Amino acid sequence: MKIRTPSTATGDRLILLAVVLLAAIWIAPIVWVVGLSFKPNEVLMRTTGGLVSPPFTLKNYTDILNSSAVFGWMLNSAIVAIGQMTLTLILASLTGYGFARTNFPGKRPLFLLTLVALAVPEQAIIVPLHTMFATLDLHNTYIALITPRLAFPFGVLLMTQYFRAISPEIEEAALLDNASRLRIFIFIVLPLSVPAQATLGIYTFLHAWNDYFWPLVSATRPEMYTLTVGLASMQTNFAQTEGLGFLMAQAVFAGLPVLVLYLFFQRHIVAAVAGAPTR
Amino acid sequence: MGGLSLRGLSKSYGSLDIMRDLSLEIADGEFAVFLGPSGCGKSTLLRMVAGLEAPTSGEIHLGNRRIDAIAPGERGVAMVFQNYALYPHMTVKQNMAFGLRNVGTPRDEIASKIAIAAKMLEIAHLLDRKPGQLSGGQRQRVAIGRAIVKQPEVFLFDEPLSNLDAALRSRTRIELARLHQRVQSTMIFVTHDQVEAMTMATRIVVMNHGRIEQVGAPMEIYRKPSTRFVASFIGSPSMNFLPVVQAGESDGRALVRLADGTVVATEILSASVPRSGEMTLGVRAEHVTPGSGTAARVDVVERLGERTLVYAIVDDGSTIVYDEPGDVAPAIGEHVRLSLDPANVMLFDAAGLAYHAEPRA
Ligand SMILES: Nc1ncnc2c1ncn2[C@@H]1O[C@H](COP(=O)(O)OP(=O)(O)O)[C@@H](O)[C@H]1O
Ligand SMILES: [Mg+2]
Repeated sequence: MKIRTPSTATGDRLILLAVVLLAAIWIAPIVWVVGLSFKPNEVLMRTTGGLVSPPFTLKNYTDILNSSAVFGWMLNSAIVAIGQMTLTLILASLTGYGFARTNFPGKRPLFLLTLVALAVPEQAIIVPLHTMFATLDLHNTYIALITPRLAFPFGVLLMTQYFRAISPEIEEAALLDNASRLRIFIFIVLPLSVPAQATLGIYTFLHAWNDYFWPLVSATRPEMYTLTVGLASMQTNFAQTEGLGFLMAQAVFAGLPVLVLYLFFQRHIVAAVAGAPTR
Repeated sequence: MGGLSLRGLSKSYGSLDIMRDLSLEIADGEFAVFLGPSGCGKSTLLRMVAGLEAPTSGEIHLGNRRIDAIAPGERGVAMVFQNYALYPHMTVKQNMAFGLRNVGTPRDEIASKIAIAAKMLEIAHLLDRKPGQLSGGQRQRVAIGRAIVKQPEVFLFDEPLSNLDAALRSRTRIELARLHQRVQSTMIFVTHDQVEAMTMATRIVVMNHGRIEQVGAPMEIYRKPSTRFVASFIGSPSMNFLPVVQAGESDGRALVRLADGTVVATEILSASVPRSGEMTLGVRAEHVTPGSGTAARVDVVERLGERTLVYAIVDDGSTIVYDEPGDVAPAIGEHVRLSLDPANVMLFDAAGLAYHAEPRA
């Protein structure tokens, strides 16, 4: 237990102040985006100031909802994001556990290869990826949207590190308790790694949800668009500001599921960032 | 059921030999304590018995089964780890049930086994808590409970008391001895604490550098340590060691001379002692009496309540600790004369081998 002295209390208050200030700076553009999304486009053509003064409108949102394709895109995004998240968690956990706890020939080179893969930028492999999926005739499928991202070195490393930090004695106790490797993995290791799973899961989900580049390349048929690609396709020209309110409403709309997700997993996100396992 | 038999066990990590050719028989129902300094290979030995580590060579038999090549869970052993190694995400009850569930024990049988063990260990009120909500002593009991419910043939304990405070440690020592009385299983207990060994063991195995120094009943090890290492490791305060030279014999018993010239009589057969080479005399505090004999100056007085220890410095600078028989201890700096009980002094040769008194016919 730390003893609180007056000076640390003052220090805490200063830190709090700084954090509040940073948060305010951070949130300002978001507030602006939300505000603009409720303004009529004609008004915004003239001025983008006067956020808090009428007129307000919901037209930008009804426009989105009236475009029948939006829900299909949202469903696509959900399938891709959830699929990518689930499969990445499974793969990264199994691989990480293998690296952390088993010995097999070639383990070190494989691990190094994983590290090296961290440094490969997405853009560098987009052409071969495109060619590959074109050859396999898989473009405009969920498989094409989901699979390229499953080889996720960061996830593997995260899980490897997390599994390594679990006391080996706990697994040895389970071994003496007659548990097979698989039972140990399922009943001991996985439950203990929930914080890391949550971090990785949320990260992967958000990444997949926000992804634009690969879906733009791979999904060329509108019914296979993800939300990001679909919304972008509704904007004929980025430079023209005539649909600014509509544009902002699209951004808010696309961000809503992410916000909901955060509200659900806030505890795990905070715990994972703070490095403290949740009980 | 049956005893445990270690036959020619060796263990190396790469070129590093941890243990070489260790053999030992442990009878069914024994409480064997492996005692040795940190790093001498005690944990390694336990882990080989448990199956968490494979011996480089040698065999382990339990009863009439050879167990060194079978899976840890199937050996009929249960282990209590130094840090307890409870499953943090499971309740106490789930911790204890896990091993039974893994072998498909029926639900009601699991419940009754847990109930019995929980009652024995007085943890019934903790069954729905998680390890994080328990004190060190309570975790310890749960760890023992997790072992008990499996009704193993052999219990393995790896320094399970080292994380407890002194009061709890001595209480747990007594409880473990009681538990052993109750379950009658073979127990192997590993520790570097000689008090734990002396209080609980039916047999002590003193280890050093991966070798067995001596095996014997606690008092036998205390009275007749076979090497200087054992003599120094067992007993508190540690045995006094004084350099001596041989000074002939009297009536077939060896005489030795201390550094200050005092001749000390022993009951050790002079024929058994090597003729030459450096010798060390060993004598415990309770066998040194003030009065006459070699001169010494009092350095420190340590009052322990049931006994008072006096540390005195002799001529050559070495320290002798002895039991002050009276209630009034000498003052620091005071000069005393100390005599060593001939029947209880022992000699060690240069290799550390012990020579003990031989009772007269
Ligand atoms: N996996 C390992 N690799 C290399 N050396 C080890 C390993 N495990 C233990 N040792 C060494 O083996 C010796 C005995 O260790 P251990 O059995 O843990 O000793 P103790 O339990 O008596 O303190 C120590 O010197 C230790 O450094
Ligand atoms: Mg140890």
